[in-house]
Amino acid sequence: MTKRERSLEELYRDDPERADALLYNRKTGTSRRGFLGGTGVAAMGALVGGSIPFAQNMPVGLIPAAMAQTPAPAAPEKKGPTYLNFPGKDKGLVVIGDRPLVAETPEHLLDDDTTPTSKFFIRQNGNPPEAAGNPDSWKLTIDGEVNKPVEITLGQLKKNFKPQTLRMVLECGGNGRSFFSPPTSGNQWTNGGAGCAEWTGISLSNVLRMAGVKPSGIYTANYGADTHLSGDAKRLTLSRGVRMAKAMEPQSMLVWGMNGKPLENVHGGPLRLIIPGWPGSASHKWITKITIRDKEHDGPGMTGTSYRLPIRPMIPGTKADPKNFRILESMPVRSIITSPANGNKLAAGTRELKLRGAAWAGDLTVRQVDVSIDYGQTWIRTNLSQPKNRFDWQRWTANIKVPSDGYYEIWSRATDQNGKAQPHISANWNPSGYGSNPFHRIAVLIG
Amino acid sequence: MHMIGRAALAVRRLFPALVLVLALSGGFVFAQAQQEQFTPQTEDPETFPEGDGRDDTFYTCSACHAFKLVASQGFSRERWDETIDLMVDRHGMAKPEAKDREIILNYLAKAFPPKASPRGFQNPFLKQ
Repeated sequence: MTKRERSLEELYRDDPERADALLYNRKTGTSRRGFLGGTGVAAMGALVGGSIPFAQNMPVGLIPAAMAQTPAPAAPEKKGPTYLNFPGKDKGLVVIGDRPLVAETPEHLLDDDTTPTSKFFIRQNGNPPEAAGNPDSWKLTIDGEVNKPVEITLGQLKKNFKPQTLRMVLECGGNGRSFFSPPTSGNQWTNGGAGCAEWTGISLSNVLRMAGVKPSGIYTANYGADTHLSGDAKRLTLSRGVRMAKAMEPQSMLVWGMNGKPLENVHGGPLRLIIPGWPGSASHKWITKITIRDKEHDGPGMTGTSYRLPIRPMIPGTKADPKNFRILESMPVRSIITSPANGNKLAAGTRELKLRGAAWAGDLTVRQVDVSIDYGQTWIRTNLSQPKNRFDWQRWTANIKVPSDGYYEIWSRATDQNGKAQPHISANWNPSGYGSNPFHRIAVLIG
Repeated sequence: MHMIGRAALAVRRLFPALVLVLALSGGFVFAQAQQEQFTPQTEDPETFPEGDGRDDTFYTCSACHAFKLVASQGFSRERWDETIDLMVDRHGMAKPEAKDREIILNYLAKAFPPKASPRGFQNPFLKQ
């Protein structure tokens, strides 16, 4: 018997009515209101991995068998990263959260010019839909402030429009969050909520033009097929959108292919948005509907302090005033060192370090990347490549002389085309931890 | 309470029937999707810091997400309070009643106070 079983058993044995109220807000009488506000059976369904038929007949105080017989025992809290075990994924990805599944790519695994799908980060917000049995029948609806609402299948998108393939960075809006001090709310990303893949699909503008956006249509509202983590079908897990000008950019795409293969379910297949340069949450996965609105979208993830930055800088760690926040659009400039890996030991007598890395800057390009091996006292310019296309990342290399054996930190700092460089520490503190892009910092030991 | 307890005990005996219903209804689709699905680690409230309200907090938060997400963070009571607002406003959590909120907040503030980020830059040569 696992510990989980025992504790659930105990909870139910001691007071089954309260256990139900606590876990699922399943109510037997009128007296007790649970915490969960009437979503009980749906939540329970989510936990056991499917809907529970005849739920209304399920007696109160009964533990669903799928939960009670959960085979995987609870692991004690352990130090150090948890590595991802997922079919088709590199075992070096680090699990930040496992429900919902969030896994990042350590910087040294971003050493390929094009990030292989096996190494691409995962960020789920809700419960992903089941893998589509017939991808080409996947339906997308465009409605709202349009002349002619469109309902079109993936098969028709492939047939009716000219596809394009672009290599573009996709980056989670919270990338870099763990570098904030004091810590901020949310998944504690280092720099690994980013990757640069070849995306195949069509410009979103094709479909928007087909629908005919009215002059009143100024913002998109994106909806996908993933469901709220509570299992409650009435609640949305995430619905973000972008200004019409961004939606109409040729690189804002409806995507069905990734790195030359059909887009996998875990990455939003069979059909997703890619809105490059902006927080990843705007690139809705399993996209089913885009409603054109006559005002800024206000779905989950658009308001409060979510995907927003302070207008007037606030005192770090204090209570936020949501009125002082604006939407985070272009992601900030960032560089990473992809080789050597943090923690590498090099042979005694090594006097030259061959460095490789990548840099990107949201809507902008990167003007230069500099590295330092003396804590920023002196900086060395790196060789920086040009992007293949807009929103591609830029790879960089540098050969650095080191004067002796010992412990070295290598810092990298990118500067965007407007002259804005990465700061030494995370700037513009905000409670949900967006826009954190300090220097990348690694350490190596020679000898 | 005693009656309910006995009723619950009686229906426990129906477990095999329920398992069958679940298997028949969900089994087919589930098996198809399973290859691409991820099985989260089972969590146990007992592996988290002891304290009044631990179970209430654990089951409230883990109705949606892994409790590890909570345990990996550390805030002042005021910032935990703000985090509950975030869960209600942004993530669709049912607004807890005042007394339940108090129970949860008391536990969170005591069990997960402000701490240095366990991630971010850490000297790789000082790890155990």
